[in-house]
Amino acid sequence: MADVQTTNQSILVVGGGMSGITAALEAAEAGYEVVLVEKNPYLGGRVTQLYQYFPKLCPPNCGLEINFRRMRQNPKVRFFTMAEVAGISGQEGDYDVTVKLSPRYVNEKCTCCGKCTEVCEVEIDNPFNYGMDKIKAAYLPHEFAFPMRYVLDPSIAGTDEGKKCLDVCEYGAIDLEMEETSFDLKVGAIVWAAGWDPFDAAKVDYYGFGEYKNVITNVMMERMAAPSGPTEGKILRPSDKKEPKNIAFIQCAGSRDENYLPYCSGICCLASLKHTTYVRELYPDCDVTIFFIDIRALDRLEDFYTKVQEDEKVVFIKSKIANITEDEETGGLLLEGENTRTGEQILMNFDMVVLATGMVPNKIEIDAAPDVSYDEYGFLINDPEKTGIYGAGCVRRPTDVASSVQDATAGALKAIQSIARR
Amino acid sequence: MENMVNYNPSFAEEVFRDVDSGDEIKMCMNCGVCAGSCPLREHMDYPPRQIFGLIRAGKREAVLSSKAIMLCTSCYTCVVKCPRDIPVMDVMHGLAHYALKQGYVPRKDTANFGKEFWNQVYKLGRIDEKDLPRRVFFAGGFVEGIKAMLNFMDIGLKLMLHRRMKLLPERKIKGVKLLQKMLDKAEGLGKGGIAA
Repeated sequence: MADVQTTNQSILVVGGGMSGITAALEAAEAGYEVVLVEKNPYLGGRVTQLYQYFPKLCPPNCGLEINFRRMRQNPKVRFFTMAEVAGISGQEGDYDVTVKLSPRYVNEKCTCCGKCTEVCEVEIDNPFNYGMDKIKAAYLPHEFAFPMRYVLDPSIAGTDEGKKCLDVCEYGAIDLEMEETSFDLKVGAIVWAAGWDPFDAAKVDYYGFGEYKNVITNVMMERMAAPSGPTEGKILRPSDKKEPKNIAFIQCAGSRDENYLPYCSGICCLASLKHTTYVRELYPDCDVTIFFIDIRALDRLEDFYTKVQEDEKVVFIKSKIANITEDEETGGLLLEGENTRTGEQILMNFDMVVLATGMVPNKIEIDAAPDVSYDEYGFLINDPEKTGIYGAGCVRRPTDVASSVQDATAGALKAIQSIARR
Repeated sequence: MENMVNYNPSFAEEVFRDVDSGDEIKMCMNCGVCAGSCPLREHMDYPPRQIFGLIRAGKREAVLSSKAIMLCTSCYTCVVKCPRDIPVMDVMHGLAHYALKQGYVPRKDTANFGKEFWNQVYKLGRIDEKDLPRRVFFAGGFVEGIKAMLNFMDIGLKLMLHRRMKLLPERKIKGVKLLQKMLDKAEGLGKGGIAA
């Protein structure tokens, strides 16, 4: 696997999400040798977990498919899944990088027949659905996974359960002897496109996320609405699996807050507006209330906001909700706050609450990390004094998919300049 | 629109300059979390966010004579939750001091209690659990005082039982002079100063 030959004319892209894929393909299509490393067992990142894009409400799969095809057709790109960067040394034009590969326990002979899943009896929390359901410990990460190959969870590798999977596989695709390996690369420039993690909503203790079952986050909502998600596309209350009659969205849950994320993530407003369309399409009688401080719907995206506003079942209330309490019997939620337009006190009951949480950038967190600049919130700055390593996409600023693609193209160009000037 | 007011920065400038922690309200972004989480919200004529709004709108009279600024019980909920790190509680106390200094007495009882409490701390370095209520209760006259005393008899007996209240007058703490020096210095540091 580690037979990859690179030189100081090669580019390393870290992160196989939309930004990383774009940066890698743009550089490769310009004729440069590119290595892409991705931590997950599949490419596509957070975008694969989305049900629809805003504002066009189309599924992300087609765009991903096009990119995967570009990748398959281009011999200039080599990619590694379950791979993480363990070390970076050197400087612009001459980096030595160590890549760590975690064992997948499944090799390239896998045909996705699914026999291992059938025999495996151990279940794990499904990371793809944010732990909302369970999957077998021998699994395909998701139905459109690229590369299309199963994974064995390390927890069963050395057990009888792993042995069962090995025995049932007719293709010799399971290799329980796989171990963590690493390999070294020589590259001239690095594009850091490691993306983002959802803000941990449990930190805002007065919203009760993690404690109250019917308080979920926006990324969970996205999985719930997806037909491949834990509820097969039905939006249901986690506590009793019933259809909600009224749903509240709380904007800036932890964002624009000096106690948590002091910045605005810029996408949560549109995400909640989009979720509102999911709910309204599914349940014509369901009421939706959106609690906001300010709605950020810029340029053409404002049309989407206006469209949602026209729905008479959707109410916008200007207020930052100050407290949520749960009715233990019904699982209902009481929201408290102040309507800052009228000055009236808010005391409203809802079946379900969706917290619009923001993005936390994935910084370069390795031992002896290279010298790069971050802004006060932890986003990577492409500092003109420190060339050679460039941020792309959501590590540079919280933004939507379209802007990430633009930013990643810019990142690829920067990386090419780092190489071309030697 | 009824809520329309002309912008008048003069009172806001006065608050920023002369009220302790008054300049902190510049950070307010009108989210309403302070009002939504205040346990005394229902008793306030204006919750904190609206007080800040009134300051920005130049409503001097409404702010300095509002009950709300004297109702804060220092529970810290708004301070902990404020997304803009405003010490809402300090601002409310600062406004209360400033109002008293300017001759406004939005809540007579609260002002009186505060004054007596302060005098005792200053004089003894501690609170005398029978002298303070006596002074406060009888401020409204003899009959009112007896009534209030009877109301609080149960609590008084329990306090005695747990030796939180002594029959003899409380003595001064050791080094009360030093404490007074500290308090005097602290008073000098504040913008609004201690209400008379």
